[in-house]
Amino acid sequence: MTDPDRIEQKTDEELAREARAGSRRSFEELALRYKRRLFVYFRPRLGSDQDAEDLVQETFLKLYRNIRNYDPAHRFSTWLYTSANRLAISSYRRKRTAAGRLGPEVVDNSADLAVRTAGEARSTGLWNAAGTLGGNQYRVLWMRYGEDLSVEEIAASIGKSRLAVRLLLHRARTNLMKRVGPTPGRAAVKTAVRETPYG
Amino acid sequence: MFCNLTRWLISRAEDRGKEMPRFAERHAARCGACREYVLFTASLAARLAGETPSFLAAAPDSPLDPAAWTAEGAGRGTRADFRRRFVLRPFPAAAAALVVVVSALIIFRVVGRGPGPGLTSAEKQAVIASLKSVAAAPAEFRLAAAEAESSLARERVILERSVLSAVEYLQARLNIRVERKQVPKSL
Repeated sequence: MTDPDRIEQKTDEELAREARAGSRRSFEELALRYKRRLFVYFRPRLGSDQDAEDLVQETFLKLYRNIRNYDPAHRFSTWLYTSANRLAISSYRRKRTAAGRLGPEVVDNSADLAVRTAGEARSTGLWNAAGTLGGNQYRVLWMRYGEDLSVEEIAASIGKSRLAVRLLLHRARTNLMKRVGPTPGRAAVKTAVRETPYG
Repeated sequence: MFCNLTRWLISRAEDRGKEMPRFAERHAARCGACREYVLFTASLAARLAGETPSFLAAAPDSPLDPAAWTAEGAGRGTRADFRRRFVLRPFPAAAAALVVVVSALIIFRVVGRGPGPGLTSAEKQAVIASLKSVAAAPAEFRLAAAEAESSLARERVILERSVLSAVEYLQARLNIRVERKQVPKSL
């Protein structure tokens, strides 16, 4: 049913259609494509690699169980991130409850991590800096630029309005610029802004 | 003062894939910080896309557990979830069933009762008289309609007289002649 030579060349939607028809191999290929993407999506908010890996595993399990509900009219990544977001919300709630039961140490650890990653962000790349933004800002930034989803698709995935998504993106850009500083190569600024009678 | 508004407009234009509004352009041409923001926003997509492969490569390559998928089976989520929900919550289901049974019993008792006690002869006469009065209603209705029509005709005559006297007064006062061109339509 699935040609192993060409499976890497297939689009996500083609693979999802095959997985829906019962192809285990196609689903595994999808999982391979997205496991790291999901990991970096979950990681900043969860605070530990182990939690993020568990959630990735849980997400693929959920997708596999519900693969027949996938609508090929939509992009696979939108469907995947919708499920991922729902699971993440449940996980955050569980984590918060557990943190409340365990005491303040857990909260202190996550605060340390946030400070540490903020410090690392200045010395490393943009994505690491983005990871230190608020959870929602990083999420929409990842979906917009990491996954190339449209504002409408992001809104559908995270269950917010388009305006709310645009606002989150705006805040994310503003805060990211504050953290990493302005763009290198300022000479190009003048070309980016069109000449005006006032300029 | 306009920096926040300008940056919002820049972001909005970027997300909508449209050109920046003229106001934002003019402001960005004068304001250095907003100019930086324009450039930052415009270059962000390319910069992040360029960093994405190395960012993903730095993520740990944790193995997935396909055995768990096998245990679950594809496409069985919905049915399994429903079964689990039902098994885990037997008491609400039992309570609902009980409510349905009790309601059915009550309805059966109320509806299934025999006819009430029979009417006495006096009561029967009263019912027949009221039915007759209802049957006689059309004649009364015609009478009432005729009365209403006659009062309407009287009103019309009074109104015509008023109009005629007003016309006569105007003719006398202004020394003009007003002619009636056509007979008014009947009401």
